[in-house]
Amino acid sequence: MSTLTGERWRALSPYLDEALDLTAAERAPWLAKVGGEHPELAADLESLLAEHDAIDHERFLEGGAVVIPHPSLAGLRVGAYTLISPLGSGGMGTVWLAERSDGRFTRRAAVKLLNSALIGRSGEERFRHEGSLLARLTHPNIAHLIDAGVTSTGQPYLVLEFVEGEHLDQYCARRSLPIEARLRLFIDVLEAVAHAHANLIVHRDLKPSNVLVRSDGVVKLLDFGIAKLLQDETETTPAITREGARPLTPEYASPEQLTGGAITTATDVHALGLLLYVLLGGPNPAAGTSGSAADLIRVIVDTDPPRLSHVAPNGHALRGDLDNIVAKALKKRPEERYASVTALADDLRRYLRREPVSARPDTLAYRASKFLQRRARAVAVVASVILLMAAVVTFYTVRLASERDHARLEADKAARMSELLTSFLTGADPYATRDREPTVRNILDAGAERVQNELSDQPELKAEMLNVIGRVYQRLGLHETARPLLEEALAIGRRAGAIETTRLAQSLNELGILLRERGDAAGAVPLLEEALAMRRSLLGSKDKDVAVTLVELGRAFEDRGLIDRAEPLYREALVIRREIFGEQHRETSTSKASLALVLLRRGDLSGAEPLFREALDTSRKVLGDDHPNVGAGWNNLGLLLLGRADYAGAEPMLREALAIRRKHFGDRHPSLGTNLANLGSALVEQGKYDEAAAVLTEGLEVARAGGDSRSAIIARLLFQLARLHLARNDAPTAEALLREALTRQQATLPPDDWILAATRSALGAALMAQNRYDEAERLLQEASAMLKDVPGRQGREAAATRDRLAALAEARRRAEGAR
Amino acid sequence: MDSRSLTSLFESAERGDAAAAEALFAALYNELHRLARRELAKGGNVTLGVTTLLHEAYIRISDRDGLAFPDRARFMGYAARVMRGLIIDHVRRRRARKRGGLFEITALETTVADKVTNEEELQLISDVLDELAQVDATLAEVVDLKFFCGFSFAEIGAMRGVSERTIQRHWEKARLYLHRAIGDAVRMER
Repeated sequence: MSTLTGERWRALSPYLDEALDLTAAERAPWLAKVGGEHPELAADLESLLAEHDAIDHERFLEGGAVVIPHPSLAGLRVGAYTLISPLGSGGMGTVWLAERSDGRFTRRAAVKLLNSALIGRSGEERFRHEGSLLARLTHPNIAHLIDAGVTSTGQPYLVLEFVEGEHLDQYCARRSLPIEARLRLFIDVLEAVAHAHANLIVHRDLKPSNVLVRSDGVVKLLDFGIAKLLQDETETTPAITREGARPLTPEYASPEQLTGGAITTATDVHALGLLLYVLLGGPNPAAGTSGSAADLIRVIVDTDPPRLSHVAPNGHALRGDLDNIVAKALKKRPEERYASVTALADDLRRYLRREPVSARPDTLAYRASKFLQRRARAVAVVASVILLMAAVVTFYTVRLASERDHARLEADKAARMSELLTSFLTGADPYATRDREPTVRNILDAGAERVQNELSDQPELKAEMLNVIGRVYQRLGLHETARPLLEEALAIGRRAGAIETTRLAQSLNELGILLRERGDAAGAVPLLEEALAMRRSLLGSKDKDVAVTLVELGRAFEDRGLIDRAEPLYREALVIRREIFGEQHRETSTSKASLALVLLRRGDLSGAEPLFREALDTSRKVLGDDHPNVGAGWNNLGLLLLGRADYAGAEPMLREALAIRRKHFGDRHPSLGTNLANLGSALVEQGKYDEAAAVLTEGLEVARAGGDSRSAIIARLLFQLARLHLARNDAPTAEALLREALTRQQATLPPDDWILAATRSALGAALMAQNRYDEAERLLQEASAMLKDVPGRQGREAAATRDRLAALAEARRRAEGAR
Repeated sequence: MDSRSLTSLFESAERGDAAAAEALFAALYNELHRLARRELAKGGNVTLGVTTLLHEAYIRISDRDGLAFPDRARFMGYAARVMRGLIIDHVRRRRARKRGGLFEITALETTVADKVTNEEELQLISDVLDELAQVDATLAEVVDLKFFCGFSFAEIGAMRGVSERTIQRHWEKARLYLHRAIGDAVRMER
């Protein structure tokens, strides 16, 4: 059909490629040259090139079948440019894509056809003059103003560098850019604005639609200084009260723009603050108004915008520095804002480097918290807390994911969790507001507060985190702080119902431990029994968590003196641990020690001894000679020897135990009381009364500092001290000490515990020495009925009581005989 | 549309199977048609760009079929030709019924005939474009993408991994070919 066959076209094609890159002037010599080499092509080439020029003129297929320029203005010449197609329209007028062709290549530009009413009264001359000033502003991130003028028909226009891109906010949103990437783009914007400010040009109309991002990620600011270009210098009326089209965008206006104040670089700082606010997810504060002028003025001039972190969807991440930076840029009074755009950029850079920013009081604690953030990994304790939490979260997420197919819920949780964890490292608020060094305690407090405040819609996660933090508090000895957290975790677990049993069991277990540790063994027992039943049914009988609860319940029974109930629990735990962990394991050796202590108390010294020795050997091997568990092992063996009445043998072991404990806990820790009580009794029995008095007095001091949770040990110390005074014939002092001991023991022990009987017996002796025989006899009879003749201390107490009763009878006889 | 068959159709068409190419055309036509109808069914002020439509079609098809097409550029080349058919059909139908019909693309509705006055002229462009496709398929594809689908030179360049200037030169050559061919066709009819 065509006069050009395919073959011929293919022959011509490479020459056309060459020719189309030539200017009109270069074309003739080129044609002559090709004609010399390939005369058969020259004629076709020449006619095709002529046709090409005609096609350009004719605008053949220009604009496409789908997007075709408005016929009325397309082709219109404005200055050196020809309008091609409309790009958009706005308050200022319409914007067109335009081309300037010099034959070799075409240059594209955006031509703004301005509403002529905008030029203002000072007229065309000023417009041209200002335009030429703006044209000198060149920066890679600022769309260049190429030309400003008025056509012969009176149409004012601006020719601008053509930028193909997306509005900054849309660009960020569509790519879901993370905060840091948004900040880096924003810093590019700041650098461009700073350059303009250095050239004494204020933008006056910064907003997302004036900041484009090209597909290659380069930021371009549009319309620099054009608001000024369009404003009549003689006008003093605030822009918002004027009728008709105006260059100002109210939602991004600064207070001074609405009240007629001076427009300075601070005006741009304010607009940039708003831009940042929106970029980080905040809603434009003026967007929610009714849109009336009065309303807008009120919001922009009077109302401080809500803190960014309170309104942005990912608010937690913005808390602290970014909140403060945005707030400082958005101050109503220009002089309170950042002094320059550069200062704002510097602060954002500091934020990105995790250095202290200027937008807040620079307290020592704040600096320290920043230092901590930079060195988070080096601070081992902090890291261990975080890791502990992370481990829990990971476990939790994985477990739930396998239990239920709630992928989205899980993703949400994981995200929330990582946010929370991140906030422990980056959220400065908890430290900045208090004049304290950042400590584990501070971090835990901040963590607990956030868990309380921010996880209310995620009860499962909240309960888990409360458990974790509560446990850490407990380890730090902060029982009263831990308790409400653990109780809340438990309450959440109970509300959630039957599905939640593994976690519910965990909560019950933790709270049980807590109650026992603070001296409420009776309260701990039902919780631990419930936990044990749940764990057994969920995890089977051979599980390490079951063993944990068995031991804890055993301890609670033991604390209450119910050693017959404790023993089978310890035995079961030991069987489980031997099977799971093997013989040479720390948990196994702990279990051996627990069981042996019960045996010791019951008087089964030969049953207890091998267990104690094995436990001590394992601990020394696995943990080293200085470990607290080794100290506990020495203490236990010492107790065993005390039971055998080998006081001289017990003394060095008990001293070693005390030394190890002092090393780890210092000289003032309440738990030293136990060691001092044991050593004290060994000394009393050996008649080393002076040494014993010093040891027992120190023990009472540190134990009393521990409060009522140390009641049992205080009672033991009082008992030993009383025996010392009895031996020194100071019966009234002994009586007072024993009465306190008895009161404390009655509060913590079951009424039939032999320890109570031993105290009563000693009290009886103290009364007898004061010749109060009736009282003494009643107490001694009571004690005698309770004390059994088993090997060990109980047996010795029983014998001592019988001797006292005999002595009492003898004393009575003598007293009667004397009468 | 069964995606598996789409893949095999594509492979056959690539090997020069004319029947497969025809079937592929029909399949893509249905897909694009369906997408456009769904957009309209959403109601409101639908301004459906042709490029958006094609991008979406690509995402849906590749999503459904894994790798139905070797690459985006290949898909766009095919789909653009299909789109051309849709547009011509649309203009023809609109002439016939003035308004209505199931399929409307807003942008087409308002502008397509402003420049190209009737469907005969569009049809003529389409015919010579098919002829160009025999001579130089690359050039023809640029016309489909640019003129019928509204992609910019930069976008087409990015799709193919060549410079914008190269695409612009392709476009100028294609336009030259079409202009010459249409001139010839019109002269012959006279």
